[in-house]
Amino acid sequence: MSDVAGDGTLPLMAPGVTSLSLGDDISAHVLRPRTLLWWWIGFGISLALLLVLIGSSAWLFIAGIGIWGIDIPVAWGLAIAEYVWWIALASGGTIISALFYLTRSPWRSAISRIAEAMMLCAAASAGVMPILHLGRAGFFYWLFPYPNVMGVWPQFRSPLLWDFVCLLCYILMSIMFFYVGLLPDLATVRDRARGRGQRIFYGLLALGWRGSARHWRHYKTLYFILAAIMTPMVISVHSVVGLDFAGGMTPGWHSTQFPPYFFFGAVVSGIALVIMLTLPLRRAYGLEAIITARHLNALGKVMLVGSLMLGFAYFWEVFGPYYDADIAERHMLHERLFGVYAPCFWATILFNIAIPQLLWLPVLRQRPVPLFLIALGVIIGMWLERFVIVVTSLHRDYMPSEWGNYFPTIWDWATFLGSIGLFLTLFFLILRLLPIVSIAEMRELIAERP
Amino acid sequence: MSPRRRDYWRSLEELAETPDFRARLAHVQPRLAVALSGLDRRRFLQLMAASLALGGLAGCGPEPQQRELLPYVEQPPGIVPGRSRFYATALTLEGDATGVLIAHQMGRPIKVEGNPDHPASLGATSAVMQASILDLYDPHRSQSIARRGQLADWEDFIAAIVARREHLGTGAGLRLLTGRLTSPGLATQIQVLQQQFPDMRWHQWEPLHRDEAHAAALTAFGRPLDLLLDAEKAEVIFAVESDLISAAPGHLAYARALAARRRRLEAGGAMSRIYAIESTPTLLGAKADHRLALSPDEIARALRALAAALGAAPADWAHQDALPTAWLAAAAQDLQQHRGRSLVHAGREQPAEIQALVHAINAALGNFGTTVRLIEPVAAEAVDRRQSLTELAGDMAAGKVDTLLMLDTNPVYSAPDDLDFAGALGRVPFSVSLARYADETALASTWQLPAAHEYECWGDARAFDGTISLQQPQVRPLYGGRSAHALLAVLQGDTAPDDYASLRDRWQIEAQHRGFGAFDPFWHDALQRGVVEGSASMTIDLQPREDLAAQLPPPARPASGLRLLFRADSAVIDGRFADNAWLLELPRPFTRLTWDCAALVAPATAARLGVADGDVATIASEGGRLEAPVFVLPGQAADCITLPLGFGRRAGGLAVGVGFDAYRLRRAAAWSAPAQPLEKTGRRVALATVQGHDRMAGHDLVREVNLIALQRDPRALRHDEPAASLYPGFRYQSDAWAMAIDLNSCIGCQACVAACQAENNVPVVGKEEVLAGREMHWLRVDRYYSGSPDAPSIAFQPVPCMHCENAPCEVVCPVDATVHDHEGLNAMVYNRCVGTRFCSNNCPYKVRRFNFFAYARMDGRPAESWNPDVSVRDRGVMEKCSYCVQRIRRAQIDADREDRRVRDGEIVTACQQACPTQAIVFGDRNDPESAVARRKAGPLDYALLEELNTRPRTTYQAIVRNGNPVLEDKS
Repeated sequence: MSDVAGDGTLPLMAPGVTSLSLGDDISAHVLRPRTLLWWWIGFGISLALLLVLIGSSAWLFIAGIGIWGIDIPVAWGLAIAEYVWWIALASGGTIISALFYLTRSPWRSAISRIAEAMMLCAAASAGVMPILHLGRAGFFYWLFPYPNVMGVWPQFRSPLLWDFVCLLCYILMSIMFFYVGLLPDLATVRDRARGRGQRIFYGLLALGWRGSARHWRHYKTLYFILAAIMTPMVISVHSVVGLDFAGGMTPGWHSTQFPPYFFFGAVVSGIALVIMLTLPLRRAYGLEAIITARHLNALGKVMLVGSLMLGFAYFWEVFGPYYDADIAERHMLHERLFGVYAPCFWATILFNIAIPQLLWLPVLRQRPVPLFLIALGVIIGMWLERFVIVVTSLHRDYMPSEWGNYFPTIWDWATFLGSIGLFLTLFFLILRLLPIVSIAEMRELIAERP
Repeated sequence: MSPRRRDYWRSLEELAETPDFRARLAHVQPRLAVALSGLDRRRFLQLMAASLALGGLAGCGPEPQQRELLPYVEQPPGIVPGRSRFYATALTLEGDATGVLIAHQMGRPIKVEGNPDHPASLGATSAVMQASILDLYDPHRSQSIARRGQLADWEDFIAAIVARREHLGTGAGLRLLTGRLTSPGLATQIQVLQQQFPDMRWHQWEPLHRDEAHAAALTAFGRPLDLLLDAEKAEVIFAVESDLISAAPGHLAYARALAARRRRLEAGGAMSRIYAIESTPTLLGAKADHRLALSPDEIARALRALAAALGAAPADWAHQDALPTAWLAAAAQDLQQHRGRSLVHAGREQPAEIQALVHAINAALGNFGTTVRLIEPVAAEAVDRRQSLTELAGDMAAGKVDTLLMLDTNPVYSAPDDLDFAGALGRVPFSVSLARYADETALASTWQLPAAHEYECWGDARAFDGTISLQQPQVRPLYGGRSAHALLAVLQGDTAPDDYASLRDRWQIEAQHRGFGAFDPFWHDALQRGVVEGSASMTIDLQPREDLAAQLPPPARPASGLRLLFRADSAVIDGRFADNAWLLELPRPFTRLTWDCAALVAPATAARLGVADGDVATIASEGGRLEAPVFVLPGQAADCITLPLGFGRRAGGLAVGVGFDAYRLRRAAAWSAPAQPLEKTGRRVALATVQGHDRMAGHDLVREVNLIALQRDPRALRHDEPAASLYPGFRYQSDAWAMAIDLNSCIGCQACVAACQAENNVPVVGKEEVLAGREMHWLRVDRYYSGSPDAPSIAFQPVPCMHCENAPCEVVCPVDATVHDHEGLNAMVYNRCVGTRFCSNNCPYKVRRFNFFAYARMDGRPAESWNPDVSVRDRGVMEKCSYCVQRIRRAQIDADREDRRVRDGEIVTACQQACPTQAIVFGDRNDPESAVARRKAGPLDYALLEELNTRPRTTYQAIVRNGNPVLEDKS
């Protein structure tokens, strides 16, 4: 797996790229005195969506969780589906930046920063969801094992607690990993900054990085260790999200394959979002020289592999109820395949499994537009998959007398849109303030270029 | 004030020296004034608390007299905070009294329980009785007296009546309209009035009248008589859309007796067999071993055939077309084999002809004197109430009525449309409506008087067997309501009526008359126990006339086309409880509808007419037309549309605009009418049913076994091999609370649901939230169908929390808000709950309820009506059945104080206490002698979804059907 792209014939970057030009190009985007119009437009829309989140959350806290469409039996709705969705997207970023760092895949360098930024922003959106979803959100910290006068600890058998701990560690580690990777680039920006404010800002952020050999040695060691921690962590965080469901006895959830199943989903959806962010950025920043068809090819292949793994999991998900002959499981499955929510299920299959098979064709996976569209389909498909897992499992469980449906209300959708707003707002801020391609790593590649 | 700045105390002191202040002080606080004279500064400060001084200086007006305030240093005798005291009284419905005990906490009535000493209750309650406490506190109750819509007071009314009396003369224009009355006190008052005004007439009206039975009694016995039935002695019961266990007077007692006979299996005795023929499902029909859904015409013919087969009617009636003759023959044979030990019963909606045939069949079977007894009518005056109202309306329209008093009746709403009661009422110059709500009749009357609730007044009433109960007020009238006694007394000329004194005086005479001995002990005992001992009616030894069947009119020609059936709603009854949120939200046994009513149609008929649940259709009869949503009800007879009465109120509280008013289609107060073809409007509405799915979808949630199969293999239902568990089981040193629910006894009446709601402060959520799937009932009664949709087998299953040993909810809660306690209760710690709702997702029984909104705060109940023993849950918190933990703890505290263990049967959960059939048993599973342990050891015991290995504490006893082998083989 040392070179997932495999195809060594495609160039990693255009021939004209040099260490100096790269540093100038990337830094210029950050140090540019006038912000570009497209950024303002994008940021404005994102901020507007973020305001939707703030507004809908405020109403949620005032009126109560009942403004959502959840009920008994479907007590979890969009918030949980979106939590899983966002955390999977975040995990995809980590997979590119940490897992492929460990495998020394050369195509990773140009897009690792995008992937990491995406990871942080998606983790923020993910982190908001479980708190909003609580009936009494103000007491979310009771999940934290802190000593208190009541002498009450959290309940360590609950997957929700494991999840809370995993998510917290993951977000903290992600911030650290991201920041450590940024250090040399922050120094580069600092060195090129002209304005006093910019110098102080980036100077403080760069933590006195001077690029000495000692710095580099410590940096490399730390970054490697962090990558080595992050890789199992990303697998654990999404597996534990899977356990939130597998730990329950609800038909459709109670399955041992959920941890890897959810990880497969993370691979495919994370890569898809990286593709969706990379392609417009490549165009907007004119990065065609360093993000080439080789990168697209590699991303396309990873997405295809993810899709195949996911297909495997889908197969077992359907196979299980027929194999174990549990009435409730089977009934739920039939309802999932042919009931009210069947269109969601079949759309999942279409977007996540069927359409990505087009990636077998190099022509399609090396071209931005088809790749972007397939990735968009996967993102939608993965959202639907989470919805199907959460909702259809709950809506038909053991007691037919209590069967019921769930339909999202306008407030469910507002929270969803708002979470996209939170993600994009943070992402646009990172775009404006931080170098979006890892200059240091790219310079390494240039230096190693034959 | 002085221009110089002075500090607070100095100015006060100065002020205290003014003569004005001293004079006022001497008036308000004479002793203080004495103390203040010759005051020095130090002494002043010693004496004067700032607040007292300010109080005096603030210039409160002088009080007319000094009153003494008593500090709460010593408790009033008998009142212990946190303990309930019970007071006996009785609640009437259509005149029939059921004894109740009202639990008081700190002087406030909180909860209604059945009176075990009362024959109509035997300790049980109905849902309506449970909900009566909410009626008492209902803030929508009428609270002021009004004359033509203008506020007036009681003195004005007395003056108006006194003036009126001058013009009444012999009372030719004076009319009294009441419901069915059994109260000896009211009857006496009316007699006295009748003496004062010889030409006065007393009319009665009940929309859910039993005039058909009245007419049948006249035909069969030559005079009105009431029936007393013995459901326990009956080995074969033939039910003709019988309301024996759902609405008939004494239905709670009958349900108890019936269930006892159905549980005979436990005791080793024979189990009764029930045949039912009915047009719309009844609770007894659901319990039947053989049930046929027949249209009213078919019922008439079937009963004629049955009567002929049993020798109660001419033999040539035996051949009726298009009837399941084999079924009827088997039933006839079964009845024949159980002469004197069988029972045939017809519900109040069956026409007089059928009621008379039932008498003839019971006579032919020798049931009179054994399972059927006759007593003098319990009602103060047994009349045909349809006729009575018709005469009144005619006289009113003819202008013969100038003074009309309507006591606790709502004819403007419930009278048949063809009488045009509202129009006739407009021609009465002086009409008085004594009603608890500003209802349709009250608004149309000259005088509108708020009626006191029965829990607010003195009175007496009789039960179905004639037993008299004394009613004592539980609280002073909360909203200034007046009693019927007081109103009649005013009319008699007593302008300062004293209900208590007149009741006591009357009973002093009555007790002497009946030979009860010394009055005071009798009076004390009757009030305390809620029952007048030995007041039950004597059985009359009488048989129906021999040629009864021959007296009957020839059978009507079979009608074709759709038929409308007018039936009482099981919760709002005739509409009188339409302001009771508990009853509106109480799921109806079969439809599981809340907050709504629908036209009930059989599946085959619905398919033929092309309508589905929620389709709004225009339903028309010769009485008129209305638009109603359709609800498809399995077990309904083909081509019969059941319309529930009691909805579509136009005035009087919460229920205004809820559902449609089926009275508008009802002519001559008939129970059925031919309908014109249904027209679909094309609109659809959402009906708030709490059960989404009617079938068990392959699970064996309700287990059912045939008696013969059970006798062949008594342990056919038991799976005794315990499944393995990874975790070691809990150990219980002392008590292990558990519940057993006998599905064979459960009749699906919903009393437990209402009792749970009352006991556990379960909030009402409203129609929108029910539609959103958020009802809060801790206990629900699921209803499942099996078999064909048109002739289904119907089963009820009450589902409270299972209190699992391996509780799936406990492991998934991240904050330990739901935990296992040392006695095996699955406890819910509301304060700790953060509302992840994972516990509900993981509960396979879905018994957990979540406060999506602050339902308890939104509930309109007055604060003082909540049960102080149970926390009221706030928004965002999960809740569920606690096995009435507050009752467990109370019993344990009592046991601890007496240094003993809790006795079996000492803890009674609210659902168990209410249950008329004793289907629910609660106790210590560790004690092998306890009732619950014995039930669990029985052959019928099973755990719900036991394959999940949750090991529930609540287990069920399977339904046993005692099918007739002749018919079983055929099917």
